[in-house]
Amino acid sequence: MLFGSRRRTGPSIWFVGSAVVPAALISLPLIYVVIRATQAGMAGIGDEIFRHHTLMLLVNTIVLAVSVTLVASTIGLAVAWCVERTDIPGRRFWRVLAGVPLAVPAFVSSYAWSSISPLLQSMPGAILVLSLSTYPLVYLPVAAGLRGADPGFEDVARSLGDGPWRCFCRAVLPQLGPALGSGALLVLTHMLAEFGALSMLRVQTFTTAIFESYEVQFDSTSAALQSAVLMALCLPAAYGEMRLRAGKSVARVGRGNARRASTARLGGARFWVLAGFFLLGLLSLGVPMATLVYWLMVGHSAGQGYADIWPAIGGSVWLSVLGALVTSLFAIPLVLLSIRHKGKLAAFADRLPYIIHGLPGVVVALAMVFMSIHLVPALYQGVTVLLLAYAILYLPLAQSSLRASAELVSPQLETIARSLGRRPLAAFATITLPNIAPGIGAAMALMVLEIVRELTATLMLAPTGVITLATEVWSHTYDAEYAAAAPFAALLVLVSIVPVYVFTQRFLQFGESS
Amino acid sequence: MYKLDRRTLLRNGIMLGSTALIGSQTMRLAQAAESQSLVLYNGQHTHTTAALVKAFTQATGVKVEIRKGSSSQLANQLIEEGVHTPADAFYSEESPPLVQLDEKGLLSPLNPRTLKQVRPGYSGKDGHWLGVSARCRVIVYNKGMVKDSELPTSILDIATKKWDGKVAFVPTSGSFQEQIVAIKLTKGRKAALDWLKGLKKYGRIYNGNTAAMKAVEHGDIATGLVNNYYWFAVAEEIGAANMHSAVHYMEHQDPGALVTVSAAGVLKASKKQALAQKLLAFMVSEAGQKAIAASVAEYPLRPGVVSPFHVKPFDTLEPPHVTPADLGDVADALALRREAGLA
Repeated sequence: MLFGSRRRTGPSIWFVGSAVVPAALISLPLIYVVIRATQAGMAGIGDEIFRHHTLMLLVNTIVLAVSVTLVASTIGLAVAWCVERTDIPGRRFWRVLAGVPLAVPAFVSSYAWSSISPLLQSMPGAILVLSLSTYPLVYLPVAAGLRGADPGFEDVARSLGDGPWRCFCRAVLPQLGPALGSGALLVLTHMLAEFGALSMLRVQTFTTAIFESYEVQFDSTSAALQSAVLMALCLPAAYGEMRLRAGKSVARVGRGNARRASTARLGGARFWVLAGFFLLGLLSLGVPMATLVYWLMVGHSAGQGYADIWPAIGGSVWLSVLGALVTSLFAIPLVLLSIRHKGKLAAFADRLPYIIHGLPGVVVALAMVFMSIHLVPALYQGVTVLLLAYAILYLPLAQSSLRASAELVSPQLETIARSLGRRPLAAFATITLPNIAPGIGAAMALMVLEIVRELTATLMLAPTGVITLATEVWSHTYDAEYAAAAPFAALLVLVSIVPVYVFTQRFLQFGESS
Repeated sequence: MYKLDRRTLLRNGIMLGSTALIGSQTMRLAQAAESQSLVLYNGQHTHTTAALVKAFTQATGVKVEIRKGSSSQLANQLIEEGVHTPADAFYSEESPPLVQLDEKGLLSPLNPRTLKQVRPGYSGKDGHWLGVSARCRVIVYNKGMVKDSELPTSILDIATKKWDGKVAFVPTSGSFQEQIVAIKLTKGRKAALDWLKGLKKYGRIYNGNTAAMKAVEHGDIATGLVNNYYWFAVAEEIGAANMHSAVHYMEHQDPGALVTVSAAGVLKASKKQALAQKLLAFMVSEAGQKAIAASVAEYPLRPGVVSPFHVKPFDTLEPPHVTPADLGDVADALALRREAGLA
């Protein structure tokens, strides 16, 4: 059913129109990749794709992405279950702490790990390091899902004689499907696009090859072909995740799930679980933080660039907040449209950003350079284009945070408001918007977190002279001034803890109230 | 009473946001209207360029806006921008990005007087880009893992079984491409191919020069093929006396003793040609060269200006007979790497 199909004129056009804008925006990098890739000609495409080296990259990329997704999902699921469903001591503390690794930029943690042992500069090392930095992307939605899950299913399973494991697999896991799926998809696409960490960990993937095409050959054609392969790799993942949530309708008008789920007693295992949490904290936070302290202590460049600290914080904060606002605005219609209007087009518009999300930042940034200088030269290297680039890069993250709350808002509520005479926009603003506010909060927090760390698009598209914490960390580490970089990196982590905290609170409160 | 509800907040937020957007655009246009200013895309060491530009502004009163990035990233950006570029000049850490821009017809011819200020043979053959400072390829080695006497006299000897698992190299770095081309030009294509195959078999790939340098200093691996200033950058950071690694210069016109340059050019699309030429002239003036030499361990290319760092004096280097302009052909370097299974 088309949303508001009783009166075909007003709402559907507004609605579809507002979803077309982000969809058009997101297809800009896609168009750019196609334009550049076709310059290779058919023979060139064949030569580039069917080579032994491409096969090696393909294997590496898939092994890395799939392994990290599996490991990160396992850690995320286990941590979520422990903090939500067991009597582990200090639950509230662990609940927040488990999300904090999101605040540590991957290039800081990978630098730290690669310094510890050359053994870690390998595929297994990369899997370990990247899993430790991405598991919160699974942990947060799954923890929220566990809170919202109906314990009634578990009661039934247990009453039918299932043991705890079987009960978990049959009654709990299926309810967590969408949360686990969207988290895992984010990790997977993140891995396809990861570059900074891999350059330290000596693993070659399509993304490192794309960088090479640009950096060494100045060859945007090969880079575009490799990007096309990368996007093709995102397709099955995006499709799989879509299937996972297909046919699920969870909207409710009232607030169900009155009873809190029972907590499992850990008993003798308590010590081991606690030890596991300490270890996780140590590995995911302790190691990178120790590296920053070490940089500060041994480096001679310490103290350089202190005058840039305030401008950098300022640049980071206002760019990330504005970027988060713009991205969330674009994400709202996409999410609502895909939930309420289950057509192919809406589903496609909803999935498109996930496919683009697998593209490395440099491709998206160059696409925006190309598009803005040809379409709107007056806006080039102004804030507007940069904010749009942020939206293209991070829409899927906003979508997945919004979706959880948007799915619980019944479209009937808005229909009722319309039948009582509210105009479409007013009905949206008074009924739907307040109901998805927690989702918007969570989305904004996650956006701020990601944009604060963004580097490539910021370097290319920010107004000349604007600096951020991330650009300063980059510029000092590029010149091997690690001690000068340390305060900026530490501030980057500190600034990021604010959105992580907001995000954790939002996500978990939201689970609690539903 | 003023009541702040969610809608007011949202509305005000949007208004504030759009004001900021429009405001910043207007500011940008206003800035562009000012004629006595230049936009420089800078891939060179941040402090080097900052010192240079400060001296330039003091001498001429011309303001320079610096956009920073890595040299090749900025070159790619300039290629996408084409004739619409807001940049007036480009200062690159290496010469190949400028060779690429020149091949795409994006650079202006430089003032011959400027080109004459520096040692001959280190600028573009057509005079479209200017060599500003030089550095050489070296082998860095961990002093605890290799004795001085064991070090090879030729770069070709390091791609052999004797060095199995002991050589860090960065096949994707710009200077490595130049190294490949230099071997090809001086020793022949087969020698270059065998060298690459040997490195693939016995060496260890790193994804960045800093990572390779760090690995040698840290003792992860015995030697590494990098540019000399990577060692000096780390030495500057932790103190030369604390270094576990040292620099080995090759001699006798060996391709391993290759000299490469940082370079600059003026964009053809710039509307401030004269002013941009003035900036480049300043880069190779005595004041400009001194500012550069003080901040990075590279050799000033203007005769008479000497690096204050403890580098091997420029005139005692024995580089192979190839010039930076010969080294721009990255396509052939890539073909060789592909043949050797390194790309």
